[in-house]
Amino acid sequence: MKILLQIIGILVLLLLVTLGTLKLKHRDDDGPSILFPGGKLISGELYQGPEPDWSFTDDVFTIELETSDPVSSRRIFVMESDGRVFVPSGYMRSFLGKLWKDWAFDVEDGAKSAVARIEGIRYERQLVRITDPAVVEGVATKLAAKYGGGATPEAVSATMKSVADGDTWIFEMAPVETQL
Amino acid sequence: MKSSTYLKVCVGITAVWVLGLLFVPPFAQALEQIMLLFLSTNAR
Repeated sequence: MKILLQIIGILVLLLLVTLGTLKLKHRDDDGPSILFPGGKLISGELYQGPEPDWSFTDDVFTIELETSDPVSSRRIFVMESDGRVFVPSGYMRSFLGKLWKDWAFDVEDGAKSAVARIEGIRYERQLVRITDPAVVEGVATKLAAKYGGGATPEAVSATMKSVADGDTWIFEMAPVETQL
Repeated sequence: MKSSTYLKVCVGITAVWVLGLLFVPPFAQALEQIMLLFLSTNAR
């Protein structure tokens, strides 16, 4: 029994050491790792020009998204819908989500400035949470088609319910408002 | 295992583990993939 407890103790220790080490290791990196947030997105040309045709993101599985206050970056899904571009944040009402998706709560609290790095190009954007069902339906359709195995009516409906219930938050990566 | 021996084993394993995470990228990436798989299947 004592041996079993000691083995469990070592496994728990290794889990905590892994989480702490990888979080510290990546926090100032130029971009995120697979799972852990990175720091400011530095490399890559900063896009200057007219609003892009975001449909090219249909062929991009994940993008890197930097948020501000505090500055951090993570890998995230991306969906284009009706000429606009969106990112999701799931698990928002779960305990794990509250730990894992702290950036989304920061955005909701006003830290809307963001930089998306897509295929090596950085785009300055601002994040705006979307709840309008008419917009959400198009995003849910793309989300289900791109990441859920197919945009069946059931899959789209389930995603829309998840958004309506607050389990999934959808943010538009909107153009940065110009101060006049 | 005596407590003192156990503590030494913990310190030794932790040191090797941390060095592996910091200096062996495939090891760290494999662990991250496992954690991501766990989160994506269990986070509710």
